[in-house]
Amino acid sequence: MKDLAVIGTSVERPDMPGKVTGHAMYAGDLSLPGMLHGKTKRSTIAHASIKRIDAARALALPGVRAVLTHENVPRVLHYGSPHPRSASVTRDQYILDTKVRYWGESVAAVAADSEEIAEEALDLIEVEYEALPAAFTVDQALRPDAPLIHDGRTGNLVVDPVLVKRGDIDRGFAEAALVIEGTYEMGRPTPAYMEPNVCVCQWDADGKLTAWISTQTPFMVRGILAEVLGVPYHKVRVLVDHMGGGFGAKQDLFQTEFLCALLARETRRPVRMEFTRKETFLGGRSRHPGTVWLKQGFRKDGSISARQALVTFNSGAYGSHGPGVTAVGTTALTSLFRCENVHLEGRCVYTNTPIAGAYRGYGVVQTYYALDIQMDEAAERLGIDPAELKLRNAVREGDLSPSGHAIVGHGLEECIRHGMAETGWPELRRRRRAPQGPVRRGWGMGCEMHGSSAYPGIKEQGNATVRMNEDGTVQLFTGTTGLGTGAHTALAQVVAEELGVRFEDVSVVHGDTDVVPWDIGAFASHTTYMGGRAAQMAAAEVKRALLERAADELEAAAGDLEVRQGVITVRGSDRRTTVREAIAPKKGIPSAHIVASATYRPTKSYSFAAHFVEVQVDTETGQIDVLQVVPVHELGKVIHPVAAAGQIEGGIQQGIGHTLTEDYVIDLTNGRSLNAGFVDYKMPLSMDMPPIRTIMLETAPDPGGPYGAKGVGEDPIIAIGPAIANAVYDAIGVRFRHYPITPEQVLQGLREKDSAK
Amino acid sequence: MKQVIRATINGEARELAVEPYRSLLDVLRNEAGLTGTKKGCDVGDCGACTVILDGKPVNSCLVLGVEVKGCRIETIEGLQPGPDRLHPLQENFIKYGGAQCGFCTPGVIMMAKALLDENPDPTEAEIRFGLAGNICRCTGYTKIVEAIQATARQLGGRKGDA
Repeated sequence: MKDLAVIGTSVERPDMPGKVTGHAMYAGDLSLPGMLHGKTKRSTIAHASIKRIDAARALALPGVRAVLTHENVPRVLHYGSPHPRSASVTRDQYILDTKVRYWGESVAAVAADSEEIAEEALDLIEVEYEALPAAFTVDQALRPDAPLIHDGRTGNLVVDPVLVKRGDIDRGFAEAALVIEGTYEMGRPTPAYMEPNVCVCQWDADGKLTAWISTQTPFMVRGILAEVLGVPYHKVRVLVDHMGGGFGAKQDLFQTEFLCALLARETRRPVRMEFTRKETFLGGRSRHPGTVWLKQGFRKDGSISARQALVTFNSGAYGSHGPGVTAVGTTALTSLFRCENVHLEGRCVYTNTPIAGAYRGYGVVQTYYALDIQMDEAAERLGIDPAELKLRNAVREGDLSPSGHAIVGHGLEECIRHGMAETGWPELRRRRRAPQGPVRRGWGMGCEMHGSSAYPGIKEQGNATVRMNEDGTVQLFTGTTGLGTGAHTALAQVVAEELGVRFEDVSVVHGDTDVVPWDIGAFASHTTYMGGRAAQMAAAEVKRALLERAADELEAAAGDLEVRQGVITVRGSDRRTTVREAIAPKKGIPSAHIVASATYRPTKSYSFAAHFVEVQVDTETGQIDVLQVVPVHELGKVIHPVAAAGQIEGGIQQGIGHTLTEDYVIDLTNGRSLNAGFVDYKMPLSMDMPPIRTIMLETAPDPGGPYGAKGVGEDPIIAIGPAIANAVYDAIGVRFRHYPITPEQVLQGLREKDSAK
Repeated sequence: MKQVIRATINGEARELAVEPYRSLLDVLRNEAGLTGTKKGCDVGDCGACTVILDGKPVNSCLVLGVEVKGCRIETIEGLQPGPDRLHPLQENFIKYGGAQCGFCTPGVIMMAKALLDENPDPTEAEIRFGLAGNICRCTGYTKIVEAIQATARQLGGRKGDA
């Protein structure tokens, strides 16, 4: 590849000056003349019919402008998450229903002159519930006599089970020298983004809705708002500029967006609704709790002869992303470590608990936690080093990926090899730590792969329009959303590189569904890969037109021209001009924009990673500390090294939390949330985070991504978990097959190990 | 009944009419028009609303607006030394990637400012201890710590005022 001028350089992100000065506008910073404040009343029971709901006393409170209940909102069954008509969602929600299915579900909404009045009004709304038998666990929900959580269904499965069969597992297990099986249990971490959900809605006199929403998927939100509210798409405009994180969960609608729009329509005034932190837990989305029963057969040489799994995800009260998570998480078990004989079943189950949704790693966090730990277990029993066993079985070029496509750019082997060399792995594992003192140290490693974009599960596309202005500056119009990862900077770098202009001369127009081309949203490690490739294609088209214009002036063939950093040269000659000069108005020829649009339809691309982790376990307190992490990622091409490494480090932070401390706990006697706040929901903070030595490889560029780039957002949260669990085993010889691994469980495990001696 | 309070916000004398039950955070955001200070939890757990009150960092959601009569308040909007100039902390948060989504950033930077004002040459452990009340969910803190270390080096152990 030729020398790159902009790609691979950590240019100054244009979103940053606003963020470090406090001038960046988030949806919650907006204030409009006459704006009212909305609040929702949440259920105090997990499963019930609403026998009576009476808003009269609330409406009588001075300052209250409107109250909505199930009795006066449109009753339209909708998908709570934004991929209508795709395989990844189930239509099972109403804006407000006559039933509640989890503790904390909204049953009414108020718009008032102030937040305080709105809150006071909520207390005045009378709700009479008739309690229904509830199912708080998957086991309870799957019993033949279980209460039906959604009427009109035959049971509590969100979708038909996902079944994957490749090869012949009976033959595979018959060939095995070692058969190993186990059940792995995953808790309920939540994304806990810093910006609580927020929206502001306003209708104009012509019946058009403008909605400022902190969402990852503005076009999907526009679609679902339009369809449920009965408004044509061109009469709904969704705006999102900066947003304070989402990590996948801000793809859903949270009842509030509909209610906010309806309150604004009823009062003919703008309405703002913002979740409290507690509501962000109650009404937000968690990762799917789940269990994975996994059985594998290994031949003497360590190759895997068969793999069988039953994956069960707890969807909570509604389907949300359950179907997609189940499909992606289950099919992920076809790969990572090669195996020709595979039989997998994935189930997704309703329970009367808070809703699980999309969250970074999308089902794969859970299933690869099980798969990677079991590889570690098998390695010990086979007498092979775990990194070596994973290396031997690592997925390779041409293998069938989870999506059914042949793997093109692989790279797992390189990740494992690099990490082994960087950490001095063979030495680390050979040295037998004499068990002295109460504090033990150990090393572990974990592997992962993750797709860039949701294709082929969703047949997505990337779109971009690139416009060169008459002064040679460039604007990229993109529908992609800026979650905070620096994606728009990366896209601008791609455009600058492709077009041969300076990075400073490119700006990005985004966040307005009335203006920018359609995009599915910022999720599935899609933005740089798909949006970036579309931007590259559109920029190439603008460049072609620009050089045709310059060719006349330079009296050269367009094919002989090169453009770099704003200067156009003729190959083999000293004739040159600038981009600005080439597009500027000439005598009698007015200048005009050069505009080009492009649509990219992907093939399937995967990124890979291996994480190496050292932990310390205090055998007296059970405390586990992560001492250092060496993440090795294969990303095809790194566009902005600082932003890419930052995502990796942040993913590791969340992954450490999942594995050791984070669990959103539900009281299994009544469905009530027990730790809906940052004091009781424990995330790793500044003093908990270890040094991270990030290594980013570019050994396997993807032919579909811009300059070979693949996604990075989801990968770092997947491999860290099993790496920690494996390191804990290395340290104390106790095998944990669940997360989070708490100090009490460590002590219990040590006691059991001692008594087994 | 609203009370009128006078306070110095970012060096400017301000007179604000505030409800007695409103937090300083809400007063800053809704009455003073300074929305750079963020509300991440409103109960003192996350640090996104950190401002400097008479030289000390506070969670502005835990201070009542009426309590700041006659006080000096510094918010993220007041940190820039001039219209086209950034404070070294701001420059280094950009350069080192100390912000991603940016929502915790104003609080983190104000906490870092207070830290460097008090301890111009902090160790990494002191920086991490100083940030213990500021939740960031994007960065893993690595690049935040690097940005603060770089600032301390740049200021050569002088106070964080630059």
